[in-house]
Amino acid sequence: MARLALRNLSRNRRRTLLSAGIIALGCALSLVVLGFVERSRSLIQESTVQQFGNIQVADPALLDGRAEGFEYLIPPAEQAQVAALVRTERGVLGTTAQLALSGLLAVRRTTAVVRAVGVVPENDVLDYNDLVIEGRGLGPADVGAVLVGQTLADELGLRPGDFVNLTATTVAGAFNVSPLEVVGLFRFSSVEVERAQVFVPLSFAQLLLATDGVDRIVVRLDRLGRTWTAARAIGVKLDAAGIPLEVRTWDVLSPFYQSLSGFFDILFGFLVAAVFILVFFIVLQILTLSFLERTREVGTIRALGTRQGEVFRLFVEESLWLGLVGGGIGVLAGAAISFLFNAASIPWQPPGTVQAVALGVDFTGAVVLIPFAVSVVSTLASAFLPAYQATRVSVVDALRAV
Amino acid sequence: MQRSGFCYVNGTPVLETRNLIKDYPLGRENVRALDGVDFTAVQGDFAVINGPSGSGKTTLLNMLALIDRPSEGEVLFEEKPTSRLTEGELALLRREKIGLVFQTFNLIPVLSVAENVEYPLLLTRAPRGARRERVAARLDEVGLSGFGKRRPDELSGGQRQRVAVARALVTQPRLVLADEPTANLDSTTGKQIMELLQGLNTDHCVTFLVVTHDPSVVDYAQRVLTIRDGRIQGEEKRGAPRPA
Repeated sequence: MARLALRNLSRNRRRTLLSAGIIALGCALSLVVLGFVERSRSLIQESTVQQFGNIQVADPALLDGRAEGFEYLIPPAEQAQVAALVRTERGVLGTTAQLALSGLLAVRRTTAVVRAVGVVPENDVLDYNDLVIEGRGLGPADVGAVLVGQTLADELGLRPGDFVNLTATTVAGAFNVSPLEVVGLFRFSSVEVERAQVFVPLSFAQLLLATDGVDRIVVRLDRLGRTWTAARAIGVKLDAAGIPLEVRTWDVLSPFYQSLSGFFDILFGFLVAAVFILVFFIVLQILTLSFLERTREVGTIRALGTRQGEVFRLFVEESLWLGLVGGGIGVLAGAAISFLFNAASIPWQPPGTVQAVALGVDFTGAVVLIPFAVSVVSTLASAFLPAYQATRVSVVDALRAV
Repeated sequence: MQRSGFCYVNGTPVLETRNLIKDYPLGRENVRALDGVDFTAVQGDFAVINGPSGSGKTTLLNMLALIDRPSEGEVLFEEKPTSRLTEGELALLRREKIGLVFQTFNLIPVLSVAENVEYPLLLTRAPRGARRERVAARLDEVGLSGFGKRRPDELSGGQRQRVAVARALVTQPRLVLADEPTANLDSTTGKQIMELLQGLNTDHCVTFLVVTHDPSVVDYAQRVLTIRDGRIQGEEKRGAPRPA
């Protein structure tokens, strides 16, 4: 039967090539778009993890944005307990503490509302020093030092070596102000972050707020894919230890990533549906014509004792081969387009970001498998109706067909 | 081609029809194509069903080949009624026990000569070695032993019909039905095909039923049934077949 199916495909080469070409086009198109979407998604994932770490452990009130006062701060004893618990989890590279505060950054006669993030300088987990493009990063000896975003620095006319004042409210409710030296300027993937966020040593943030607490523990893992398993395990351990803190993963912490990822999913869903429908209807038309032309042949093989189910299987097998060949050509074509696209290394600056990225197309197992499977399934689906109709014709009528 | 001798009719019924009626709807009316056909074909028969166009020959053949169902009456194959068999059971019966030869050969164009002959054996899931052996033997019998790899469109009409005959016999059926097997052939080739069928009838002792309106085909028959207006009008018995 397989031999007969393959021979039938080669019988009308032009029609087979047309069908395979349409399937291949749909497959290649989906593959390139999916590859592009996946590359963009992974760039955004990297950027998000760079901003948030893989996992954050903090008070649920802080994470949900409903904290009043500073009741969310994690005292030193609990910090050590959490860090020790987290480090027992597989794949954890390290932990670091952060303390963020809202304040007014003043330079000369200008002020800006900023979110100052207190970080442990030169820690192995997340210290943001790799973002510095001018000056230097925060060092262990620094106390009154600050890293300012390039955009904010341009707006305030700041350069490394300049001094600014940061005003904030302590945990007791008093105003506190301290001078800081701008030691470096950083760039970030988001203009908003560059404009509204600065980095200070954790010790400075604690000094300004007059506390020894931190607001979150940031966890870095060896790989992104481990994030969700590790988060679940850490959550269980915290519950078991009676620590009332919550675990959030990077994707949940970034509403931007969530919305963009959702948009990508919808975009790709539409594309897959469009390709499926396109391939389905065009191949349906071609196969219907092809099967109709072979009505007499169907009559012959049925008269010779081929059962209806076997005739149906023959046609479905034929379309399966067509889908496999078309999908295979589509994968090869998609790979070639992806290679050329990646080789061209076209720069693109996404909206709301400050750094251009190279547009690219991922060529991974999932990127290949999904469009290939969609092509094969849509081709198979398009064969069902004409194959069923072909088996329903009476043998006598089929033998009479011209 | 070796002929083993004569096949004598032994009286075991292979196929039997009882009061076979077939009506076709034509507009608001029914047209009766077969009107109470009673007929029996026994082991080794070589019968010709003769009649003018529109007499019901092909309709009868379709019933006998179990590819169409009667409106009334019964077709018995090896003394078993077939009217209650499902489409699948009828297909199994056809593939194992009935060989068909069509007027227009009906070879599968994408398969080679050998593959066309092999096709019914594939349906019976015969082992590969046995398939090859039987295909070679049948092609040799029909005089096409060197033609196995050719495509049907590379053959003459007579050669194609020989391939169709080989295909009909390859499963060693009990009954071979031929619908106007000489109609698309010139008279010389038609004669050769009929001699071939007659020889195979004697060699294999297979029951042959040939439907035709060609008077020259009648010469090869042991029995000649004349059909007119859907009824068997008469039967002429001619005894044992002529040696091929």
